[in-house]
Amino acid sequence: MDTQISRRTVLKLAAGVPVAAALAACGSAGPGTSAGGGTKATYWYLNGQPQEGVRTGAVDRFNKANPNGQIAGTTFQNDAYKTKIKTAIGAGQAPTIIWGWGGGSLRSYVTAGQVDDLTSWFDQHPEVKSRLFPTSFGAGTINGKIYAMPCETVQPIVLYYNKKVLDQVGARPPQSWGDLMALVSTLNTKGIAPFSLGGQSRWTNMMWLEFLFDRIGGPEVFQAIFNGEKNSWSNPAAIDALTKVQDLVKANGFIKGFASITADSNADQALLYTGKAAMMLHGSWSYGIQQTDGGDFVPGGGLGYVNFPPVEGGKGDPSNTVGNPAQYLSISSKASAEQKTIAKQFFATGVLDSTEVTQWIGTGGVPIVQGTQSQLAGSKDAAFLQFVYDTATKAKSFGQSWDQALSPTAAETLLDNIANLFQLSISPQQFATNMNAVIGA
Amino acid sequence: MRAGRRVRRGHGRILPWLAVPALVFFAGFAVIPLVGVLALSFTTWDGIGAIRPSGLTSWRSVLTDPELVHALWVTFLVMVVSWAVQTPLSVLLGTFLAGHQRYRAVLAVVYFVPLLLSSAAIAIAYKALLDPNFGLGAGLNIAWLSQDWLGRPALAFGVVIFIVSWQFIPFHSLIYQAGVRQIPQSMYEAAQLDGAGRVRQFFSITLPQLKHTMITSSTLMVVGSLTFFDLIFVLTAGGPADATRVLALDMYKRGFQANLMGPASAIAVILVLVGLGLAVLLRRLGGRDAAVSQLEGA
Amino acid sequence: MSATLTRPPRATTADRGRSGGRVARQRNWLGGLAGWLWLAIVVLPLYWILITSLKAQSSYYTTNPLAPPSAPTLGNYRMVIDADFIRYFINSVVVTAGAVIPAVTVSFMAAYAIVRGWPGRFLRAVNGLFLMGLAIPLQATIIPIYLIIIRLHLYDSLLALILPSIAFAIPLTVLVLANFIRDVPKELFESMRIDGATEWGTLWRLTAPLTRPAILTVTVYNALTIWNGFLLPLVLTQSPDRRTLPLALWTFQGQYSVNVPAIVASVVLTTLPILVMYAVGRRQLLSGLTAGFSR
Repeated sequence: MDTQISRRTVLKLAAGVPVAAALAACGSAGPGTSAGGGTKATYWYLNGQPQEGVRTGAVDRFNKANPNGQIAGTTFQNDAYKTKIKTAIGAGQAPTIIWGWGGGSLRSYVTAGQVDDLTSWFDQHPEVKSRLFPTSFGAGTINGKIYAMPCETVQPIVLYYNKKVLDQVGARPPQSWGDLMALVSTLNTKGIAPFSLGGQSRWTNMMWLEFLFDRIGGPEVFQAIFNGEKNSWSNPAAIDALTKVQDLVKANGFIKGFASITADSNADQALLYTGKAAMMLHGSWSYGIQQTDGGDFVPGGGLGYVNFPPVEGGKGDPSNTVGNPAQYLSISSKASAEQKTIAKQFFATGVLDSTEVTQWIGTGGVPIVQGTQSQLAGSKDAAFLQFVYDTATKAKSFGQSWDQALSPTAAETLLDNIANLFQLSISPQQFATNMNAVIGA
Repeated sequence: MRAGRRVRRGHGRILPWLAVPALVFFAGFAVIPLVGVLALSFTTWDGIGAIRPSGLTSWRSVLTDPELVHALWVTFLVMVVSWAVQTPLSVLLGTFLAGHQRYRAVLAVVYFVPLLLSSAAIAIAYKALLDPNFGLGAGLNIAWLSQDWLGRPALAFGVVIFIVSWQFIPFHSLIYQAGVRQIPQSMYEAAQLDGAGRVRQFFSITLPQLKHTMITSSTLMVVGSLTFFDLIFVLTAGGPADATRVLALDMYKRGFQANLMGPASAIAVILVLVGLGLAVLLRRLGGRDAAVSQLEGA
Repeated sequence: MSATLTRPPRATTADRGRSGGRVARQRNWLGGLAGWLWLAIVVLPLYWILITSLKAQSSYYTTNPLAPPSAPTLGNYRMVIDADFIRYFINSVVVTAGAVIPAVTVSFMAAYAIVRGWPGRFLRAVNGLFLMGLAIPLQATIIPIYLIIIRLHLYDSLLALILPSIAFAIPLTVLVLANFIRDVPKELFESMRIDGATEWGTLWRLTAPLTRPAILTVTVYNALTIWNGFLLPLVLTQSPDRRTLPLALWTFQGQYSVNVPAIVASVVLTTLPILVMYAVGRRQLLSGLTAGFSR
């Protein structure tokens, strides 16, 4: 019968497809294993040019020099990475080499026993340690032991401005908070957005608070919070900073629609180099992105940069800065011995080799390697690099980005409250109360 | 009516076995996880380390968190407002489509397209469309259109409702269309003889006859609205300032971003309870569901 | 055979349009207006998506967004395909087919058992379980599913996406199929049994062909739902080459959101397969869905 045959065929298909699918799907369910040819160490890192190119370049050079122990890299977007790495670690499928910002996240990995202690390895390889900025080890050290190798660049947060736009209104970059607020109203009357901001990412908003806390009350304010002191968020300096930020929002200091602009897509930076916004507070890595995406903007000298201005009557030293003292590489404790060996080999020979150092300098970043001053001076971006180098090394205090310093739980609460603060839906006091509740979480 | 009862012996023995594969799949990947989520809500786990039983800690932290109330409120609002927007429009559209004019069938083909797109795709498209600096409004230089649609809480909420309606009204109007098509013409003819106008007929005949359809459609709408995740996650990630942070999103953020799997599981339990409660409530409201009554009468 | 599945034709509201009179024309005008208005609301974003996907990024910002491209280009599509979209497409196909076929098969068997074996205690319990399952959202169980998948060593595989998808497709599929099977006249089953057929034989030789519209409907419906699934790939996969289309779309958008034409081109590409399926199987989907739901 016609129907009988077709049904049998259907049943065969029904049996066949899932089996085929299962075979295809289960094929390489394990991490880091490659079909034939030895195990590879896996390495996850952020995408986004030009930084991605430098990282991939380092991996490629290492692989060429080490045919028997290779690294397979995978790239991720910034915000998606932060969640993805946690799910992977929780699933026992973490990459061999874990890229990160140190601080609170690293601490959570250490507490869960998911990363290896590298202190003894560094003792055995003092030459690796002594090459790097000593201050870069801070965020990679938990409970006195080193759990991550510092790498890449030092990244203070910089106040960028579009020179042409400011010239148009006859202004100079703000020298103080009062200056800044006045400039905001001038720009608004001229119909130019004062500050670009990728508000949906929230850590971009956070940079404002980091600076204001420091400028008004000094680094002690956040240090107390970090140390877990009770009610440290209610410090009058903190409340003052929170209030000032809301004043800025109310004065239309940020570009329209900031709450839905993400930083991942570099949309906020596009607003600066296309001249839609006059200024932007962002990390030093933004220089490289604007150089790549902004056409003639950076080479033509259109990008200006200063350190965040002091606040009148504030206690904080104007030389202080905040940001990422370095980026960090950890080794997953669940990786195989072979993979860990490859990873350590990479740390010893493949991280921040001279080519990589030169490439970072080419992107407008200052590598955390000692003794690069002449190279910096000779680069086409010498002015910016010198600025970053000076800012980072001369700062009396270099605060780590809060969402990386704090534990992931506290960080998430922080980011949520910051979003609400910038939305003007909670008051500074409410912010302090909410955050006080998660101190030490 | 069901005469099979007579010859049950010997022939029906394989029948329960036929249902076993489905049962295994469902039990394994739906029921067990359901029990699992209840169990997890009594633990503390950051998603990375070990799972530690911790009694009522997670529940306590969730139930005392004002965020939970806010998420419940947002979810409730989304549910009610999207129902209030979708139902009248679906009824009208369904009635319109029920007419057998040729062009209406053609229109129906186009209407259905939004339902084919994934929520992620729709959210991405609208995000680009509504961008205040790079979107449709900015390009056309229409100030009203280039508002901060996704950056102001009330507007973002409205956009979510609009997109949900855009996506699902076609589906519900189809259900109503079938429902309207089943209303006997004789009722309308009788009403017309009694002198009732079109509008009166709509309200006195069409709507009451659609009651059962309305229950079905509303149940799907309401229980479905509890599961909105993809759209909101991609469009606003719960923002701005938690304006669109529905329960499902709150659960995901708490678990996977804040490393609080225990409280996230507690919220998941709440989600299930709300869903079950609503389904039961709606069934009670509309009399017995046809499927149930059919089975009962077997 | 098919006559038993559709209602006998009755004069319904559908025929109202033909009855003449001033009043009828008045109503059509209002309804027509609403209909056309909704058409505009549906079509405008779709139109914008389509024409924008054919514009080059550089000209997108300078030209009128609603105007068709003066120099249409396929460059955006090329960029999307270069970004490995073929692989993501294949992944989606594997997951969808790998989930829908087993789901419909086991649900069909279960639906048959429930209808034919009523009121056996076991089958009543199973039916009740599935009915309750209708109200369980997938989102609520994602954390334990994540755990189970890890323990089964299936994390970051396509099978991890397939298994939960099957489970959550079952309740609705069983419901719709059971409704249809219930419509098959008892006499047909009787005659099969008198002919000496087993239940298994009756299942495939009699019931399957009779309920084919319903089977097609649930197949298409489930395929659509699973194809467009986002949460499962988001949580249960990590490697780029395990991504399915909706997740790939989101990742692509996150990276290139400034490049609007490329973004909408990716949306179009990911929807194309479904549109094709829709064009081919529309009637089944529409008629079956309503019959299944408006019982």
